[in-house]
Amino acid sequence: MEKKPHILLVDDEQDITSNLSAYLNRSGFETSVAGDGEAALQKVDQNPPDLIVLDVLMPKVDGREVLRQMRQADDWTPVILLTQVGEASERAMALEEGADDYLNKPFDPHELVARIRSVLRRARPGRPPLSAAWVLVSGDLRFDRQSRRAYLDEEELSLTPKALVLLEYLMTHPDELLNRERLLDVVWGWEYPVGSRAVDTRIAELRRTLGDDAGDPTYIETVPSLGYRFINPVESGK
Amino acid sequence: MKRIWLLLFLPGILGLLLKIILERGWLENSVLFLRIDLGTLALLLGIFLSILLFIIWGIFLWQDRQFNDEFIQYQATTAEERRQFLQRLDHELKNPLTAIQAGLANLDGSVNQPAIESIKAQTLRLSRLVADLRKLAELETRPIERSLVNLSAILEEAVAIIQEGPEADQRSITLSLPQAPWPLPEVQGDEDLLLLALLNLLGNAVKFSEPGATVEARAFEDADMVTIEVADTGPGIPENEVPFVWQELYRGHGARGVPGSGLGLALVRAITERHGGQVTLRSRVRQGTVVTMKIPIGEVTKL
Repeated sequence: MEKKPHILLVDDEQDITSNLSAYLNRSGFETSVAGDGEAALQKVDQNPPDLIVLDVLMPKVDGREVLRQMRQADDWTPVILLTQVGEASERAMALEEGADDYLNKPFDPHELVARIRSVLRRARPGRPPLSAAWVLVSGDLRFDRQSRRAYLDEEELSLTPKALVLLEYLMTHPDELLNRERLLDVVWGWEYPVGSRAVDTRIAELRRTLGDDAGDPTYIETVPSLGYRFINPVESGK
Repeated sequence: MKRIWLLLFLPGILGLLLKIILERGWLENSVLFLRIDLGTLALLLGIFLSILLFIIWGIFLWQDRQFNDEFIQYQATTAEERRQFLQRLDHELKNPLTAIQAGLANLDGSVNQPAIESIKAQTLRLSRLVADLRKLAELETRPIERSLVNLSAILEEAVAIIQEGPEADQRSITLSLPQAPWPLPEVQGDEDLLLLALLNLLGNAVKFSEPGATVEARAFEDADMVTIEVADTGPGIPENEVPFVWQELYRGHGARGVPGSGLGLALVRAITERHGGQVTLRSRVRQGTVVTMKIPIGEVTKL
């Protein structure tokens, strides 16, 4: 039998860790719990987990500091940080701190499980995740995240800021089915009644600019009534 | 500094002192002139009075400005305090809600399922409310996109979306947009947010009116603004409730039986203000309501 993935839950609220670890156990994971950042770093040392679910605000050492110390020590254990990434400034900071994914509280535990599975699937042992790469490359497409510009065949694409954010998210989550609600939340930080239309408009803009045919796509595939998927392989570049 | 008007008595007091000093003979009280003609007297008095009035007017203006400054500062502090309160509320509510959601997920299939489902639905509602309040607070501070937006297209889209809604077919919804001498100019802004604001206004017009009501949306160019009006022949809002409709979670008497978050108009106001515009509401009970939204025309598109 395949070994169950080991998840380390780090949060100072015991009611959260106890309920979540019970739920994760039932979903086929092995779990351990740390109540603050210091304890988390110790556990990572003693019994390295496959993935860490890390809260930000905690006594002693906070989540961001835990993540920073790990990444500085070249430890690339996948981390899902429990906070919100919204503004451009936060996005730049998120890129530097090197988390694999973000989830804002309160969340549906099903959603956490889905994220854990996709992060584990994407994870490249011992190497930084795509979410922490400064340059993303997929075929002829290149995304420079420091200058926030995208190029196709070395030619700069003219995209609206939101289309850029959307493309960045798609490229950091390749081969993953992303539903409209999630894309909406990432790009707009808003869920609203006809928000799916906003997503579709920007996807259309991306396809137009990339010259991607919706019927026979190279980059962005439509998954009918479910969402979108970036199908071309993505590598971190220089 | 409130007693500054006392300075007005200074010349009088100085004159009085001088008079006393001279009367007592401490200084030589020389005779300067004996006669003054009526004309000169009138002129001197006139000048004196003018100076006095001028000073009074200056003081009045100065105090008024100070009051205004204080008021603006007060408003800014209140807004900042409200934002901080929302942030703390968000923070204090999200941990318990996370724990409740995780706990509920563990109960799945084990006990009375309808009860669990109803608790789940309410928890979700609470989570959504917390998220909406936070997003509203963010909207007020976060930078927004500034691309050229075609308001006519957005209005057409908003009306089309509302017309597809379940309650719309029993109401007459019309949109009138100027064609001559020229169509609406483009404005600078975030088209998703503007669409969201218009959907809220049209949605309210439909939601709060009875079947058979008329809903009119119209837009026109007015100096350096585009004015959009959304009017309905609904039940109207009592005069004493109108000033409060823009507040978060405020629900008037008439709104209590109608589902909604109580955040729609607060959102419309925040979006309009982020675009440098103003939004106002006029209403008459049993006649209807009109919301007027003014969005400045971007520098780029101004002729």
